[in-house]
Amino acid sequence: MTVYVCEDSFDGILCGVYDAWMSRKGHDHVRLEIGGTGDMELFCEYAPVPVLPEKTEKVISSIRRKISERVYKKVYTASLSQEPGRADIIYRFLIDGFRYGEGVLSMLHLPSVFELFRLCRFVLNESHLLKEFARFSRTEEGLLVSRIGPKNDVLPMLALHFADRLPSENWMIYDENRERAVLHPADGEWFLVRANDREWMMGLDWKTDEEEYQAMWKMFCQTIAIPERKNYVCQRNHLPLRYRPYMTEFQG
Amino acid sequence: MLIQENLSVQEKLKILTDAAKYDVACTSSGVSRGGKNGYMGNAEASGICHSFSADGRCISLLKILYTNQCIYDCKYCINRCSNDVVRTSFTPDEVCKLTMEFYQRNYIEGLFLSSGILYSADYTMDQIFQTLWKLRRELRFNGYIHVKAIPGADPALIEQVGYLADRMSVNLELPTAEGLRNLAPGKTRDKILKPMRQIQRGIAKQMEQEGILLPEQGKGHRMISTGEAEGKLPSDGSGLPSFGGDGTVPNDRSRVQSLSGERRPAPVRWGVAEEKAGYSTGPKLRLGRSRYGTYGISRVSGKRDYFVPAGQSTQMIVGATPENDFQMLTVAEALYRNFGMKRVFYSAYVSVNEDSALPILPGGPPLLREHRLYQADWLMRYYGFDAGELLSERQPNFNLFLDPKCDWALRHLGQFPVEVNRAGYETLLRVPGMGVKSVGRIVTARKTGVLTFADLKKMGVVLKRAQYFITCSGKLMNPVRIDQDYITSQLLGDERRKAWDIQHKDSYRQLSLFDDMHLEGAGIDLPS
Repeated sequence: MTVYVCEDSFDGILCGVYDAWMSRKGHDHVRLEIGGTGDMELFCEYAPVPVLPEKTEKVISSIRRKISERVYKKVYTASLSQEPGRADIIYRFLIDGFRYGEGVLSMLHLPSVFELFRLCRFVLNESHLLKEFARFSRTEEGLLVSRIGPKNDVLPMLALHFADRLPSENWMIYDENRERAVLHPADGEWFLVRANDREWMMGLDWKTDEEEYQAMWKMFCQTIAIPERKNYVCQRNHLPLRYRPYMTEFQG
Repeated sequence: MLIQENLSVQEKLKILTDAAKYDVACTSSGVSRGGKNGYMGNAEASGICHSFSADGRCISLLKILYTNQCIYDCKYCINRCSNDVVRTSFTPDEVCKLTMEFYQRNYIEGLFLSSGILYSADYTMDQIFQTLWKLRRELRFNGYIHVKAIPGADPALIEQVGYLADRMSVNLELPTAEGLRNLAPGKTRDKILKPMRQIQRGIAKQMEQEGILLPEQGKGHRMISTGEAEGKLPSDGSGLPSFGGDGTVPNDRSRVQSLSGERRPAPVRWGVAEEKAGYSTGPKLRLGRSRYGTYGISRVSGKRDYFVPAGQSTQMIVGATPENDFQMLTVAEALYRNFGMKRVFYSAYVSVNEDSALPILPGGPPLLREHRLYQADWLMRYYGFDAGELLSERQPNFNLFLDPKCDWALRHLGQFPVEVNRAGYETLLRVPGMGVKSVGRIVTARKTGVLTFADLKKMGVVLKRAQYFITCSGKLMNPVRIDQDYITSQLLGDERRKAWDIQHKDSYRQLSLFDDMHLEGAGIDLPS
């Protein structure tokens, strides 16, 4: 068994797919793993996968050409998942993908397809919940700042959503778990930055002068509930506790 | 009436939120509209909830009244003119500012503006129009707006508002004209149905202009072309069933005939066979779509104004008047069929006023009944059920212990079990434990392979319920008897607990050493 250790990124996983496939050792004799996840195993050979743009390009273009654009989107979505085994799940899915073509998307009874869809579902569900639950606060400079702590790497999806929603505002969303942020200048294009890029991350420390609207929002949320119908279980089902520390109405 | 003018925005928001909270509809769905530079906001067809309040209802829109002053004296309403509550009113500027500020912080998906009647219906509608105009035109707000049409307002005003809003609604409040007469002296059914009809026509006209087909004639909505239908469509209540005192539907013999399933002709399978047999099943079901079609533009470009693109909705109060579930459901069905409603909402009556005409509900609001009505509502829109299949005059109320679909399936065991690998979409939808999503997955997956029970489980089928009604490759999951009593007892255990939870939440008692009710009951004197 050869284990290909990929870098934790979409490009990294695709390079792993390329190396594992081109090694010609047979699909049963290779496995993909994200570096730093899981324990080392005996009787395995570990091969680190260097990220090379031309390999990524080759894999992407063959997915899009030989399978379909929709499959490519699915694979990208799955790569944003938090699941440690995502690289191997994507690899197994692509084996079936190249075998059956686009039709693979309807073969839900294949374990590889089911697994990939499971990852996608979690990513899409969480990104939808964060479209709902992300909260901005306005700094004195006029920047809207939001902090989130998602399990999956949903930042790119949120960026697309909010870039459409607030095109003429300056805003940033900071992912605490990955220490990455997306920045959006008013009427401009959004981009991702890492936490060590201090220049961009200054916005996080800017003071917000928010008390007026935060107080009104909290009051609104309390008043809108009908006391005769109170149902905390229902509330928790819809709004899990892990999102609440980031939400205005549940702070303080 | 004294209107408090010198309140701060915070105080007004508190009063007018409190007054608006009994309105149930808070959906932001039905329209998708991309954002554009220089404007704020977009809209997603699925709708986005932004928070959930302590009662578990979603907070999607800034749901407020424009004013809680009202000239009417509806007995069930907290804002009736005979109640002594602090009255206040927003100004258009205040509503706009609040909406914009909340929206950019991602607190809300848009605005839901309702109102009491200040001075007159026309005056109130005009204030609402001013607010919306300011919000859309001056502040360039591109998010979701749901607004109430005030019954009795000038149709020209309602039309103007319709071009600024995404969804409009007029509350039917009570399912029968009689109930309305008793509890809402200022309102009549005609007055409520008139703006509903106007909005429906406006939407139909808009759809025609955009070249979107309305649902087929005679299979759902009655009207196709507005011009032609103008004469046919009465603006009074004849689109809705009128009930005699005993809850029968006297004027419509053919309907009553089709309601009782037993009298149907021989082929009782659903779908094509039934239509041939002369039994109208309504519009054909499409995968994951409401059978009443999309009544509204739904996808808009944002470059022009559209008339109520997200369609219209309405609301009925459950439990304030003695109507039974069958009547409620028949009215809802008629609203979907004849008024092109996108949604009908049900609101369990919460006792806010004391009045001799109102029921006393010692057990709190009828939440389980409301829950069953919503379940049935979904069955009608997405699962192809008719109101008359779920309930009948002989069984006018829902089974408290079984959900409507299980109940129906148990009464029609002769049509089960069905073979998962072969049965049609409409047939599978009627199996308890299967939903629109899981059936969609089954239909896709079985094209390329044979499904087993393990596959079904992965696809989200609730086998606990479904196992009695399906076979995979000709085999049941467990060797069970297809016997009504046996299956009922198997299904009941689980359902009963859920039903109990809905009606009796927070009734658990913490164990305590010092205060034991059983000791008192046993006649033991406790030292006080």
